[in-house]
Amino acid sequence: MISFTIDGIEVQAPENAMLVDAAKLGDVEIPVFCYEPKLGQPVGACRMCLVEIEGIPKLQTGCSTAVKDGMVVYTQTDRVRTAQQSVVEFLLINHPLDCPVCDKGGECPLQDITFGWGGGISRFIDPKRHFVKPLELSPLIAIDRERCILCYRCVRFSQEVSEDYQLVLLERGAHSYVATFDGHPYVAPFSGNIVELCPVGALTSRPYRFRARPWDIEESGSVCTFCPSQCNVSLTVRDERALRVKARDNAEVDDGWLCDKGRFGYQSFHVDKRVTEPLLRDGGQLRPVSWERALSEAASALRRAGAASGAIAGGEASCEEGLLLSRLMRKALGSPNVDSRRAGSLPLELHRALGDPRLQAGVSDLEFADAVLVLAADPVNDAPILDLRLRKGVRRRGLKLTVAMPGASSLDAPAALSVRFGPGAGPAFAVALAAALREQPQQQEIERLAAGAGADPRALAELAAALRGDEDGEDRPREVVVLYGERLTSGPNGAAGAEALLQIAARLGFAETRGAGLLEIPAGANGRGLREAGALPNAGPGLAEAQAQGRDATAIAEGLAAGELQALYLLQSDPPADLADSELWRRALASATTVVAHAAFLSESIAEHADVVFPAETYPEKEGTIVHPDGRLQRLRPAIARPGAVRAGWRVICEVALRLGTDLDVLSGMMASQRLFDAVPFYAGLTLEEIGGQGVRWQERDAASAFPAGATPGEEPPELAEIGEDPVSLREQREIAGFRSVWDAPEVEHSPALAFLHPGQELARR
Amino acid sequence: MSGADGAERLIRELELESAYESDDVPRVPRFGHGSRVPGWDRAADLDKDPAEIPDPERVEVPPALREEIELHMSHYPDRRSAALPALAAAQRVHGWCSPEAIEQVACVMRVTPAYLESLSGFYDMLETSPAGRHSVYVCTNISCSLRGADALYEATARAVEGDENVNVRSFECLGACDIAPMASVDGVYVGPLSPEDVPAMLEDIHAGRDVLPEKQLARRLVADPHANSREFPEHPVHRLTIPGIDPEIPAERAAFGPVADEDRGEQTAPLEPQPEHGEEDKS
Amino acid sequence: MEASAASRIGPLLLADIDEPGLNTLEVYERRGGYSSLRKALAMDPEQVLAELEASGVRGRGGAGFAMGKKVSFLPKGSMDKYLVCNADESEPGTFKDRELMQKTPHTLIEGIVIASYAAGTNRSFVYIRGEYVLQADMLDAALEEARDAGYIGEGILGSRHSLSLVVHRGAGAYICGEETGLLDSLEGKRGNPRLKPPFPANQGLYQGPTLINNVETLATVPAIIHMGGAEYAKLGVETSTGTKVVSVSGHVRRPGNYEIELGIPSREIIYDLAGGPPEGRSIKCWFPGGSSSPVLTADDLDVPYDFDSMGKAGSMMGSGAIIVVDDSTPIMEIALKTAKFYRHESCGKCTPCREGTNWTVKMLERIDEGLATPVDLEIMASVQEHIIGNCLCVLGDAMAMPIGSMIAKFRDEFEAHMERARIAHGLGDDEMALTAQGTLGVPASGELDVGLHPPTREGDRAPGAHAGEPGTQKGGV
Repeated sequence: MISFTIDGIEVQAPENAMLVDAAKLGDVEIPVFCYEPKLGQPVGACRMCLVEIEGIPKLQTGCSTAVKDGMVVYTQTDRVRTAQQSVVEFLLINHPLDCPVCDKGGECPLQDITFGWGGGISRFIDPKRHFVKPLELSPLIAIDRERCILCYRCVRFSQEVSEDYQLVLLERGAHSYVATFDGHPYVAPFSGNIVELCPVGALTSRPYRFRARPWDIEESGSVCTFCPSQCNVSLTVRDERALRVKARDNAEVDDGWLCDKGRFGYQSFHVDKRVTEPLLRDGGQLRPVSWERALSEAASALRRAGAASGAIAGGEASCEEGLLLSRLMRKALGSPNVDSRRAGSLPLELHRALGDPRLQAGVSDLEFADAVLVLAADPVNDAPILDLRLRKGVRRRGLKLTVAMPGASSLDAPAALSVRFGPGAGPAFAVALAAALREQPQQQEIERLAAGAGADPRALAELAAALRGDEDGEDRPREVVVLYGERLTSGPNGAAGAEALLQIAARLGFAETRGAGLLEIPAGANGRGLREAGALPNAGPGLAEAQAQGRDATAIAEGLAAGELQALYLLQSDPPADLADSELWRRALASATTVVAHAAFLSESIAEHADVVFPAETYPEKEGTIVHPDGRLQRLRPAIARPGAVRAGWRVICEVALRLGTDLDVLSGMMASQRLFDAVPFYAGLTLEEIGGQGVRWQERDAASAFPAGATPGEEPPELAEIGEDPVSLREQREIAGFRSVWDAPEVEHSPALAFLHPGQELARR
Repeated sequence: MSGADGAERLIRELELESAYESDDVPRVPRFGHGSRVPGWDRAADLDKDPAEIPDPERVEVPPALREEIELHMSHYPDRRSAALPALAAAQRVHGWCSPEAIEQVACVMRVTPAYLESLSGFYDMLETSPAGRHSVYVCTNISCSLRGADALYEATARAVEGDENVNVRSFECLGACDIAPMASVDGVYVGPLSPEDVPAMLEDIHAGRDVLPEKQLARRLVADPHANSREFPEHPVHRLTIPGIDPEIPAERAAFGPVADEDRGEQTAPLEPQPEHGEEDKS
Repeated sequence: MEASAASRIGPLLLADIDEPGLNTLEVYERRGGYSSLRKALAMDPEQVLAELEASGVRGRGGAGFAMGKKVSFLPKGSMDKYLVCNADESEPGTFKDRELMQKTPHTLIEGIVIASYAAGTNRSFVYIRGEYVLQADMLDAALEEARDAGYIGEGILGSRHSLSLVVHRGAGAYICGEETGLLDSLEGKRGNPRLKPPFPANQGLYQGPTLINNVETLATVPAIIHMGGAEYAKLGVETSTGTKVVSVSGHVRRPGNYEIELGIPSREIIYDLAGGPPEGRSIKCWFPGGSSSPVLTADDLDVPYDFDSMGKAGSMMGSGAIIVVDDSTPIMEIALKTAKFYRHESCGKCTPCREGTNWTVKMLERIDEGLATPVDLEIMASVQEHIIGNCLCVLGDAMAMPIGSMIAKFRDEFEAHMERARIAHGLGDDEMALTAQGTLGVPASGELDVGLHPPTREGDRAPGAHAGEPGTQKGGV
């Protein structure tokens, strides 16, 4: 910390903080337009932040001047004021001042700064420029070029953050304008962020335009559960409707960005297709019924099935719902058949070993690591926001990014090395990589394993060298993060994949190195939380030993299809779409005697097969906790009212249990959370207050020591199951390895604004 | 801000209002006038796909162009440095930086077309709309305009009206004020020019001949009388083959007399009559 | 005028510059070319640097920063370092580099190799403006000869110094003459200037330490090494050593390049060398250092032509380009040309320059149309003050300083012009009468245009017309 003086106030600030930021510590605001630290280095373009510094003759830009000890800064002198007023005057020359009809009015930095720092008058009497407006920039964004003050934020985002390089400035000087190539729309996975970045009303959200004024709305913070990124969001609410979603900066989660699905998918909360009341199949048709009727029908059907029932928790379910669901199954029905993973089970030891707090990398480690391996995962389609984080690491921190994928990845461009393996051969590739990372690699073995994974042994060796940092020659522990998809630990070879990951972790010394580790992208948004809450066939809450081994998701489907199981309870899950092997699941649903589903939308299979449908909450209606892939517990807070007859998920499960004669002892959302914190030893002592707005990583709390120890990986390459050559096995294998992009989801399908993405637009695969 | 000006504005506003009330002045047709800059009024075509880095399989690039761009890329540590030479090369092929030309360059350079389009609008020599194959840049900056460049530009522009092959542009300082007023014809500097030279210049252009050989900058000797210790009447660039330079024509010292009044354009105040090129002998 | 030759030394840069074939290696070597390089390579890089510092030579591109010091700012070490020669000579009135590159390209190449040796850089670029086709071709040809002769490449003349050189052609943007704009342009981006610090010496081209020098500065290096820094420093005056090629243009009888010893009276350059204004005319004003320099008047003709004296006189030597304007030209015309040029060339990155140049042009046009009052002159002067010192780079200042100086020195003429124009417009007798037509830009015909400015102006673009239309400057003016 250093101390400097600003407007006569002595202020303590971290050394090399930019003056604009440091001034805030002394309660001095320096106005800015172009400065936005999230976009990288300051550019000093708008000249709004000019300040006077003793000893420097010219005024300096506060956004690019680092504070030094003893610096004396003035922001209120006549010189500075004249400069500020003149910049405002210059900016308003061509600004239409159409605030009364501008969507930004009331929350506009240009308005605020003009009011706070402007001269109050303009001496500009020449005609202003006028253009046709607003114009479409993309299906989601409108552009109003009259209002643009050329602060460069949006084009910097496109060029330096999302790196799609579609949005640029054309022409030069006063003629410059923001546009795309030859009238192509600006369609990219993160395009919506430019709306939030724009300090004037030049870029507006088409779905939000003219829906509300700032004084009509309330902001309500929550966490997006549309994908495992779990970005922190702020919902703009008017009359109990979500009208907009904005980023709620959390450097440890999302870095302040949102993907377009997270930003515009809110429309799906309010569409007519939403299921808002309980439905019961009556005469082959799903018809609305009272809650009482629906609950008792569901309960009686489940009672009939008893232990011959199974349950699947979908990725959007909260930890509390996962916990209560597994209690419903285990206690009320005596069935251990609960799962929340996509395909196949993993031995409990391996679950525990992979969850070991010492091996756990956080999101920000992706940025600051020496090297990252993205293994069998495609962030832009699995957890989009991580894509931006990795690009940032490469661009700003010198991260060496490596990618191992069966096909093309959107990260191939920034990656230093891209390696390919055969479709579905993720686990085999991990096994081969682990072998290549041995202290004494055996050439023959590597070649054999690489061939088995359909990979090039030389590329494999190169990858191993890149991860070990052979070229760097630096004598310090190397921080490596392996970001892997759940598909690596799924299916017949899932256990081998998991063990190989543990070998890689051991061989690269993850446990001993701060900033190194594993990070999984689960298939479900809350995949990690559901597992930790006990929604697994072979584990109780807190990955405790289960009293009885249940069937995993695939086995449940097989059981249903074979008639061994009768009832299926689906908690916000649509198995043919969400889980592996949709063919099997379709057969399973068709053969099931009873299907009880919590669903916000009627998917094709639920509409066809569900016998009872409980209307499910969407995330802004939910109360509870979810766990980020890196172990951060985050809190969902209700932002809008539940529409129609929708009831809280925990309540519905408890009521079903009551009707089955089991009291789960939960009377409120808060009690449900308390049950969770009590049930999971490594969450012990947590409170919702502690989780707060930014979440808390359980690995960083004392209770983390209660995490159960897992398996130690062997020295030899794990055995890989023979994959049959018959068409069914191959299909199954591909299915497990296959990609269901987060962009292919009901919330995208049901949001009118995102309709243009559907069906199957290749949004970012290139 | 002075009070007088405040009052002035008030008067203007009142006058404006009364003018509107009397219906003497038509209402401002808000969007009727279009934009000064092509593109300002243009919306994205939502039926198009986003413009990402072009797929090499879908974009056909003339092999010679591809080769040239790849050669340029090999000169720099970062391939993007080759963007300007690459666009210049594409412009030679296509006549201007058309979307097609930009896509071809983008495809070879592996950048988005938008990246290149933002360059083509920034640099004056890159054409962003269809232009004649032959370019005539008439310098109309201060030094040249002091010697009659505006009249020269007008004469040239008038002479090529309707001629699609010649692209006449008034250009900022071309760095040849010693031969002012001057023009760059397809890169060849000629001057000093007067409006009377325009027909001959255009004739040379259309005939594909060396443009105004005796007026080319390449043949001029330096003006500084002390520079050359000996007389060098020969052409100074005779050892290299420079396209469009005929070594037979002798070089000329850069100095020349003041231009005649009529060449200065009409805005200058009348002057006393001057002898044409009469001052040369004094040096 | 020959009488003044006593105060001039024999030319260093322009010596026998018109000798046939000087652009070829053969003639250049015969005249002693590349001997300075041999001499330099026999010394330590530190010694070469010491000679450059001793010479006191200041940058010839405009800013006038001591070249030796600039070289010494480059960090030592084995990282990728770059030398960039700024050959984007675009300052109106300047054409000295063109003459040097065209006629003696090997001098520049030799200078680059010596400077790169002193600075420890192994990659170099010449950023030449795209309009200089002939000069770039000459450089490319000379480069090939130099490469074949071992003056460029690996292990130059058996030393351990290696250097690659690429001639990079620009595409027409004045702002690329600004060193950081040039770097961005060379990296293949829009030539927007960068924020400083970091200075190019620390973080320049491709983020590496970069030395940027003007053509003339680098072309002077062989002479400095040949003479020795101390000997060179004896030329000129104390703070402005050496000789300078001055481009004289505008209303003079013999426009062209003249090499002078710094510190001689400006009058000698304008009158004795360039012949002064035409018969019967007198000098109204002159730009001493390109159109970016505040104008001086006939009263300033005895100011010595060097960096500091010009600064003291309220202007600057800049790139060494004298533009003479005689009394036949209205100052309005000069102001409008100047302002329009900077508006056209403003990159648009920073607010005061982008909007200030635009606004200034609009006000000047309004004055010219007879729609302005003296208040507008006040506003215009104040706008210039608001631009100066507040911009990201010097382009804004480059317009504001000369325009400001013109208003200060020729206020009466502006006011008279304004009055005449107002009378011509039929407004002269009523002080307050700016009509609605005037303020809205509504022509009397009733056809409205609320675009940037009326479409009838020269170089302008009618609505809907495309740039291919003859008579349009790129992007309108």
